[in-house]
This record gives sequence, C-alpha cells and structure tokens, in this order.
Amino acid sequence: MINLVHLEPRAREIIALYEYPKAAMLPLLWLVQENEGYVSCKAEAWVARMLGVALARVREVVSFYNMFHTQPVGRRELRVCTSLPCVLRGSGELMRRIQRELKIAPGETTPGGEVTLTEVECLCACEMAPMAQLDERFVGPVQLDAASEGATVATLVQDARTAPGRLEATPDPEPYIYTEGPVLSSRLMDADGTWLEAYGDYAGARKALTSMKPGEVITEVSRANLRGLGGAGFPAGRKWSFIPKAVDKPVYLVVNADEGEPGTFKDRYIMERDPHMLLEGMLIAAYAIGSHKAYVYIRGEYFLSAQRLQRAIDEACAAGWLGKDIQGTGFDLEVVIHRGAGAYICGEETALLTSLEGGKGFPRLKPPFPAISGLFACPTIVNNVETLSCVPFILRNGAEHFAAIGTESQGGTRLFCVSGHVNRPGVYEVPVSVTLHELIGDFTGGVREGRALKAVIPGGISAKVLTADEIDVVMDFDSLRAAGSMAGSGGVIVMDEMTCMVEALESAARFFADESCGQCSPCREGTGWVHRIVRRITEGRGKPRDLDDLLAIAGDMEGKTICVFADAAAWPVQSYITKFRTEFEDFVAAGRRTPSAEVAQCRT
Amino acid sequence: MPDVIIDGQEVSVPRGTTVIQAAEQLGIFIPRYCYHPGLSTAGNCRICLVEVEKNPKLQVACNLPVTDGMVVHTRGEAAEDGRRAVLEFLLANHPLDCPVCDQSGECDLQNFYMKFGLYDPRFHEHKVKKKKAVQLGPHVMLDQERCILCSRCVRFTEEITETGELGIFNRGDRAELAIYPGGVLDNPYSTNVVDICPVGALTERESRFKVRVWYLSSAPTVCNGCSRGCNMDMHFVLDRPHLNDGRRVVRVKPRHNPDVNQWWLCDAGRYGLGWIDEGRLGEVRERGATSTWDAALAAIARAMQESDRSRVGVIASAQLTCEELFLIREIFDGARVSAAVPEEPGACDDFLVESDKNPNTQGARLLGMAGPVIGDTTGGLGGSADVPDGQAIAQAARSGELDVLWVFGHDLVELFGAESAHEIAQNVGLLVFSGTNENATVELAQWVVPTAAYLEKDGTFVNCEGRVQRIGRVFAPPAGVREDWSVLLELAERSGRPRDSHEPRTIFAALAAAEAAFAGLTYESIGTLGAPVAGSAARVMSKAEPTP
Ligand SMILES: Cc1cc2nc3c(=O)[nH]c(=O)nc-3n(C[C@H](O)[C@H](O)[C@H](O)COP(=O)(O)O)c2cc1C
Ligand code: SF4
Ligand code: SF4
Ligand code: SF4
Ligand code: FES
Repeated sequence: MINLVHLEPRAREIIALYEYPKAAMLPLLWLVQENEGYVSCKAEAWVARMLGVALARVREVVSFYNMFHTQPVGRRELRVCTSLPCVLRGSGELMRRIQRELKIAPGETTPGGEVTLTEVECLCACEMAPMAQLDERFVGPVQLDAASEGATVATLVQDARTAPGRLEATPDPEPYIYTEGPVLSSRLMDADGTWLEAYGDYAGARKALTSMKPGEVITEVSRANLRGLGGAGFPAGRKWSFIPKAVDKPVYLVVNADEGEPGTFKDRYIMERDPHMLLEGMLIAAYAIGSHKAYVYIRGEYFLSAQRLQRAIDEACAAGWLGKDIQGTGFDLEVVIHRGAGAYICGEETALLTSLEGGKGFPRLKPPFPAISGLFACPTIVNNVETLSCVPFILRNGAEHFAAIGTESQGGTRLFCVSGHVNRPGVYEVPVSVTLHELIGDFTGGVREGRALKAVIPGGISAKVLTADEIDVVMDFDSLRAAGSMAGSGGVIVMDEMTCMVEALESAARFFADESCGQCSPCREGTGWVHRIVRRITEGRGKPRDLDDLLAIAGDMEGKTICVFADAAAWPVQSYITKFRTEFEDFVAAGRRTPSAEVAQCRT
Repeated sequence: MPDVIIDGQEVSVPRGTTVIQAAEQLGIFIPRYCYHPGLSTAGNCRICLVEVEKNPKLQVACNLPVTDGMVVHTRGEAAEDGRRAVLEFLLANHPLDCPVCDQSGECDLQNFYMKFGLYDPRFHEHKVKKKKAVQLGPHVMLDQERCILCSRCVRFTEEITETGELGIFNRGDRAELAIYPGGVLDNPYSTNVVDICPVGALTERESRFKVRVWYLSSAPTVCNGCSRGCNMDMHFVLDRPHLNDGRRVVRVKPRHNPDVNQWWLCDAGRYGLGWIDEGRLGEVRERGATSTWDAALAAIARAMQESDRSRVGVIASAQLTCEELFLIREIFDGARVSAAVPEEPGACDDFLVESDKNPNTQGARLLGMAGPVIGDTTGGLGGSADVPDGQAIAQAARSGELDVLWVFGHDLVELFGAESAHEIAQNVGLLVFSGTNENATVELAQWVVPTAAYLEKDGTFVNCEGRVQRIGRVFAPPAGVREDWSVLLELAERSGRPRDSHEPRTIFAALAAAEAAFAGLTYESIGTLGAPVAGSAARVMSKAEPTP
C-alpha cells in the first residue's frame, strides 16, 4: 500500500504557487509519478483530496496525457519517436531493432523490470533523428550502422537496461546550431551562454522599465513587425494592445513552451542555451501588459529545458531581475514553470490555459479570447518562447533595426528548424526574407547524399507540403500563405526522392489521430477515420475510391471545429494526395511502394 | 438590443443572446446535441453550424452572441452541408443499435439524420469498440458506443449537482464517457442525465426495454413529492397494459419551468409514483364489506346533519388540491377542520428538494387550514396560528368530543400510534376514511371511500414559494374511484348546502372570488407554468454560473 503523507508538505508548497488549487493538478501528478513510478488509483484519490476536486476530474487528466502511467512500469522508460521527421531518418528500423534487442513490443516492460518501451509522437528533437528519450535525456541520432561513432542501437539498449536516465548523469547533447546571431542565436553555440553571467545585463528590460510607458513598449514592438512565432503569426504588439486598459483583475503572461509541432525544436534551444533572453523578453512583455505573474508552460518531455529555465529564474531573482521591486523600479514579476505531460494539443493557446488550470487540454470556444478572459478567467497574453525572445533585441536595437531585417510585413529573423533529408539538420537563424530554396541549399548543405529533392513541409507537420518546384518562396508568414502553405512553427521537413508519400501521410495521419483532444466530433471521428483508411492503404488493402473518400473527409473536417487542429489534420491529406496523386494511385493499385520509392527508409 | 436577421426574419434580442436562442424566439430550430440551456456551453458537437454573412467560416450558433445587423442563414447550402458532415462523423463509429435502442423514436441522432443528414454512408472501417451495458447507478445505464461525447451529463454532474461522478476519459476517438471505477451515480438528481442525453447512451433502468416510445402518451402535471411542485410530464400507456406489467405510469420526465424546477427533477419525485398503480382502493367499504357510493354518501350526509357542527372533525390533507380544500372549508363550515398534521420533516437540499413532503401546504395555509410557516414573521405566506392542527382534532376525537371524523388520506396509526388510532375509532360515532391506497386506518374506519390519485384529477397546488400550479388530469381514475372534489360536491348537495360549481375550474373561480390571495387568477392565467399568488415573492431560481 502506498502512503503519500510524506508528499503533502511539498504538495502544499506547489499548490501555493497557483491562484486556484486545481491548477496544481499536473504538478501533483508529476510529484506522485516521480516518487511512486506511476499514478495509482490511490494516488488519484490523494490528488483529488489535496485539490478538492472529484475523482473523475483527476482520472480525466491522467488518462488524457500520455506521460502518466497508471500501472507500474520499468525502472527506466525508453520513448522512441516515430513521427515523420524521425521516420524520414530511419526510426522504423530503429524501433524494430530496439524491439528485437529488448525482446518486447511498445507498451511492454522487460521481464526484469529494467525498461519500458514506449512509442511516442514527435519529441521535438528532430535535429537528432532518429532519436529516443531515455527517461529525461534525449539520445540521438541513433546510428543504425553499428560501425559509426556516437550512440548506436547497441549502446542505447545497453543504457536502457542499466544507465541512470536522470539528467545530472549525462552531459548536454551536442547542439545542432549553425548560426551566431543576429537576434536569437547569439549565445546558442556557447555552452556557457546559459548563465546570467554570460548573458549580462537585462538592458532592454532596464530601458523599458525605467524610461518607457507600457504603451510605448507596445508601440515599439508593433513597429518592429514582430509576428507570433508559435505558428499563427499574429502581430505581437497588436495582441498586447488587446488587454483591456482598466481591469480590476490580475493580468497574466503565459509563455507557450509546449513545443510539439513535429519538425520544430527551436524553443528548446532557447530555454536550454539562452534562458535569460526569454526571461528578459517576458519581463518586458509583462511590463507592457501590466502583468505581475507569468507562467511558462513547458512540454512534459522537455526535462532539461524546465531545469535550465528554473535555474535561470533563480539566478534572475537573486540578481533582482525577477521578483518584487525589480531593480528598484517598483515593478513585480513572479515566474512559475508549469510542466505539461504529453499532449500536443496543449500547444494551442486556449488548450494550454485549460491544461494550466488543471483540466484536460481542451481548446476553448472563442469568443471570449484570452486577452479578455484567459487564465482563471482573467486577461491573458499567450506568446511563444521565440516571439518573446525577440523582444530584448527590439528594445535594445530599436524597432526599425528589427523590422529592417525581415520583409515588409514581418520583421526579424526566425530560428528555422530543418529536419529530414538534409546534410546538416539543425537550427538556423535566418532573416525571414530568405527563400526556402536558399535555406535548404545555402545553409543546411543541401539534400543528403546528393539526391534530388521531392517535397518540403515548410512550417511543421500541419503545413501543406510543397513540391520541389515550389520552394522558391520567401519564408515569412504572408508569402507562405500566398503559396498555399504556411510558415507555422518554422519546422522545415525536407523529403528527398526516396520518400514514399503514402507512408509519410500515414505517419502524419497517425500523429493527428493520436493527438486530437477528441472534443469536436469532426476532429475526433475524422482523424481516426482518416488514419484507418491511410493505414489500410499502407498495409496493401487500399481501394480505388479511398483517395476521393479521404479528400472528401478531409474537406468535411475543415473549418468546423473549436480549434484549427482539425484543419491542420486535413491539410496534409489534401496536399499529399493532390500533389502526389499518381504515387498514391500506384500504391493503392500495387498494394505497396512504387519502384521509385522502394528504397525509402519509411517505416512499414 | 441588437437586431439580427435569421433566415430572413428579424428579431431584437438582449445583448449577449446567442444565435441559437435568438432563432428559437423566431420559431427556428437549430439542431443541437451539446448545447443545453441549463448548462455551460461546450460547443463540441458542432451540429449547430450556421452561416453568418461576411464571415467565411461556419459558426456554431450555440456560442455566437448576436451583434447588431448580423445576418444568419440556418438552411443555406453551406450550413446544410456542414451539418451533414458533422452527422456523418457522429455516425461513423456509432453502432447499428436502433432496433434495440430505447431512445429509438426520440433520438436526436435519428431525428437530425432524417432532417439534415441523409447522405450515402461511406464509413467502411472497423468501428471503435466500447462497453455496452454499464450500470452507472441505481437508475442509470450507459452504453458507451452510443455516446456521442456531447458532455451534457458530465456538465450536469459538475455544474448542477456538483457531485462530479462522470467523466470523459482518454482522448481522440478513444475518448469514452465513464464513471470513476467503483463509483456510483446515485446523487439525488441522477436520472436527469438520462433526460438530457440526446441519444440512447444513457437510459433509465426502470423503463428500459419496456415500452417503445411511440406507444407512450404524455400529459403535463406537477410532482406531489414535496412542496416545490416540480413540473413534469407523465408518460403512460393505457391501451397496452401488458407492455408495462399493467402499470399505467411508465416514466416521468421533467417539464421546463424556469421559476420552479428549471429542467430538472429529483429522483425521489420521479420514482415516487409507484403507489398510483399499486395497492389502490377500488371500492366503497362499510366496515370492511363492499358497499356503494350512494350508501356511503347518504350515511355521511345524515350523520353530518344530525350532529352539532362543533362535534364534526375533518383531518384534511395538504395532498388535496386547493379546490378540494376550499370545498371542505365551505362545506364543513363551523366544524373542526385542519389540513395540517404533525409530520417529521423529510430530506431537503439547497436545490429543489423541500423538507415538506406535501405539495399543497401553502394552499392550505392560504385557505386558513394550516398554520403559518415557522419563523414567518411577515405573514406574507398566509396561515393563521389559530388553525387547530390535526393532532388537536385527533385528540378531541379520542376523548369522545366528536360524532363524525373524516380523515383524508392520512394513516392515523402512523401519525398517532396504533393505540390512539384504535381509541379514536372507538370514540367517534362515525369514522370516514377517503383515500387512494390501503393503509392501517382503512381497517378502522366505518366508511372507506376510494378517491382519485392526484394524477387522476384536475385542480391546483400552491408550491412553497406561493406559485399556483395546475396539476391537470393525466388519466381517469380506475372504475369505482371518484375525485375528492366530486365526492365533496355531492356531499354538499346531499347535506343541503349545494354549491354553484360543478368542476375544478368553477370551484377555483369561486375560490378566487373568495380569497384575496387568489384574486384575479383563473385556469387560463395560471396556464401550464403556474402563477404567483398575490403577495408571494415569485423568486426566479437560478444556479450560479460555473466558475473555472
Ligand atoms: C494545434 C495547435 C498547436 C499549437 N502548438 C503550438 C506550440 O507548440 N507552440 C506554440 O508556441 N504555439 C503553438 N500553437 C499556436 C498557439 O495557439 C498560439 O497561437 C501561440 O502560442 C501564440 O503565441 P505567438 O503569438 O507568440 O506565436 C499551436 C496552435 C495550434 C492550433
Ligand atoms: S479541433 Fe480537434 S483538437 Fe481542436 S478542439 Fe476540436 S477536437 Fe480538439
Ligand atoms: S442512440 Fe439513436 S441512433 Fe443510436 S442506436 Fe439509439 S436510437 Fe439509434
Ligand atoms: S452519455 Fe449522453 S449526455 Fe453523456 S456525453 Fe454521451 S451522449 Fe452526451
Ligand atoms: S450545439 Fe452548438 S456545438 Fe453542439
């Protein structure tokens, strides 16, 4: 029998961080799981009692998020990513070999209880694909060729059986960062750039807090043409201006660090390697919108990010850059890190708020919009990590400077995350005026092994795919929209001529079926339906009418749901099938890959 | 007041009104599954999609506040196509259960499919399998496969009962409605989830598999389970008694009344009607032997005429209608009359359930036949401290001060104990019992006359908040059974005090003319939702809006 009394003091400390006890749901479940290994029904009852909620509310949450175990598991957990970017680099083969070595299937634990194997959707470490996560640390690229250097299947399996998975035990993974500045990547290459000492003064924040009115800060950010880099591209300054002027409620700043869009990994680099840049951006934003409490919602799998950011928060508090009466200006800001627990949908800003309040990650109906009624029904601004990290530069160097870097409608640079079949996957800070062609050709070393390019997804898996002859497009929000795709999260997934588009779609469709929150009927039923059809096709049991059915179902899913997840799930279906129709038809007819894609490394 | 045009019709509605509500005012029905006016808005089913001019995307009518000048189309091609798509998704994994599903005939999946769907099905994959017959509690069964995850039931248990038993667990198309393992859905309002479930996922254990809904008749009435008087619809079968083991009442559904019960009913009231079809008195009896109405009423009239008024007692009942209490008061003028008896207060809560288990104590008060509400210093609710209570009358009977005692429905044994009841029976000249069901007093009374259950007669009750509500007449009393009011009218005739009225409506008119509290009220003005008596503070009930 478990007894959780010893956790109660810590639980009470956690609850005290939040405005309402129920918001401590995820942290308390994490606390239990860290101590007991899993969330038993007794633990659910304990959490329900600590938070004063019904048991069913706790069960809803535990069953919604992927990272909670309801049964005892192995001493370590090995999570193997099988989302598209990893698929493109051989995760299918990786998974097969791991299963063979460990002699267990996903969801199972080795007989000796050493390790539990879990198949997961994108861990947002696509630069090191194919990759896996052993407890808290990322491992990749896992070399499938036993003779190569670095992690191999054998070392991974060996570690999984024996090595400690805690972060402290291992050095940081090698960074896949190839630029140094101008805006976001100045310190990313520097292993010590993560400390306040390397970061130095919060000069932009100092300027804002001591010499500018909040309204002036908003104007400055608006003039910089800073667009939301979480995916939607909404102008940041304009969003801030929606906070009602005279409110008698607290205003919240919520940082979206739930990075989950397959193909995206930039926010992790910022949090792990330059957290003070984010904190300074947050401080400026909080000042501009009149917020004294900020939450950073970090996806559950990002253990190191949470740890690094917490360390930076502690440093900043000690240095008087956070907390009460910041630098003697009278301005207060408290920052609380809130960890997710394995649900892509929590990246959608209103789902993130519901999740932060202790519920399932259900996106909310709009209206009301968060700026009017967001977290705890108070005015709230949700911004992406990268968006906020641009703000210190704007305040230091001026809006004009930032605006001049980009295009007419979007200022600055972006951290483009390039994955898939390029020679050098990784993070590239490039002005948004770059074309996709240049990004791939000039920065990433081009398509690997000198192969021809087949297709590129320019903004995370939700974006419509572009064919090789559609890549002369500028990478800002408006140009990509005009090209029929979207800039999204900046995750560029490159596919060479060997890629089987049917299998690529199967991977994408499975992602959406796995990750739909399930509240809207068209999305819940549509994502599952689409995936079942596509999977049937990849299993060789496709029928000629399937392709038109898929297009019709995707069309029916579009524009009818609470959030745009359902649309995002429909777009790959539509764009892959329309742009590669012959390949799909051949696959259906033959019941397998067509010859040109025969050697592709897609999973089967 | 923004003006909105819906399907070409214009309406002005208060700010904050949603399109679904505004359409309702125009008589335009927009289909809905998750929307329920008594619950928070979830907006998850997406069936209520409408087209809004100048907006490229379809909008859900249940969460769209009208704005001035908004132009909405609910039957345009885009909206119809949107609904068709949503229905197809909802039916994708839905089981082919209609032939064996209790909801069949009143199912909104079936209904909307016929009205808005009618597409060629193209779902050919394996359907997601879930649990089929889960008992959630004493009254409610769940079929997870039929559930469309609208979350109405979850919101009901969260927001109305605040008991939180139900949840939707897992995500995506693995999501399922369930109760926490080992939990029981047994809160005092549990069966309301069956009423609000738009499909056959939640069904009532009591009426499951009994009667196809198309064999049911329905009539509006009011619950007699407590002094709140919740409005309900009685669903019954008369012509196919074999379907329901010979019982007429099949099930009870709440009837919306914003001032009384909103959309809800408590389980005690809903399931408190077994007595109507069970253990009923069916014949007039004199000392246990079958007799006739004629003989009974002749004997009672004679006894009344022969006794001094002060030696006649009536223990009436707050289960009787206002009309009947009024007749008693008039006919037994000068006698010792009371409708109040000492009863232990029953269960009550801060929502609907009242501790006074009689539906018409307030009516009795207003007619001067029951004492005031304890602690009521304003006198606004009527009731006089001078009214004797049933206990005093019983005491008088016991000590031989009465020649005639008429007991309406009560069981003297239960109220005063067997010894007192026997003494009363011995010491009054004539003990009359009128009522619906067998009880211990029936054995003691000289005359027993079988009277109608409240569902079997028309009349009014006044609820605890001073609202007069008509109970209607759902079906006729069994053969040989008469309504109390008709018995009383005949007695009046026979005892030389004939009345002008001949039926509840005219009795009520006389009552309204005689009693200031009822002045101006008629059956028409009471209508189906009732009307407050003069001086009552007709309170509008509302449950607070949910907070995050
Ligand atoms: C399905 C879905 C997933 C999303 N995931 C993320 C995410 O992982 N990170 C993020 O910053 N924004 C994500 N967004 C966008 C957010 O909803 C929101 O627009 C963003 O956090 C706002 O910040 P920004 O304006 O700074 O970009 C997602 C949106 C949707 C619809
Ligand atoms: S569209 Fe999908 S993910 Fe978004 S709220 Fe609806 S069901 Fe959830
Ligand atoms: S819930 Fe409705 S559609 Fe489903 S089986 Fe029952 S009657 Fe048929
Ligand atoms: S059981 Fe009925 S009310 Fe509850 S969620 Fe399912 S369909 Fe809705
Ligand atoms: S009734 Fe509007 S979304 Fe369900």
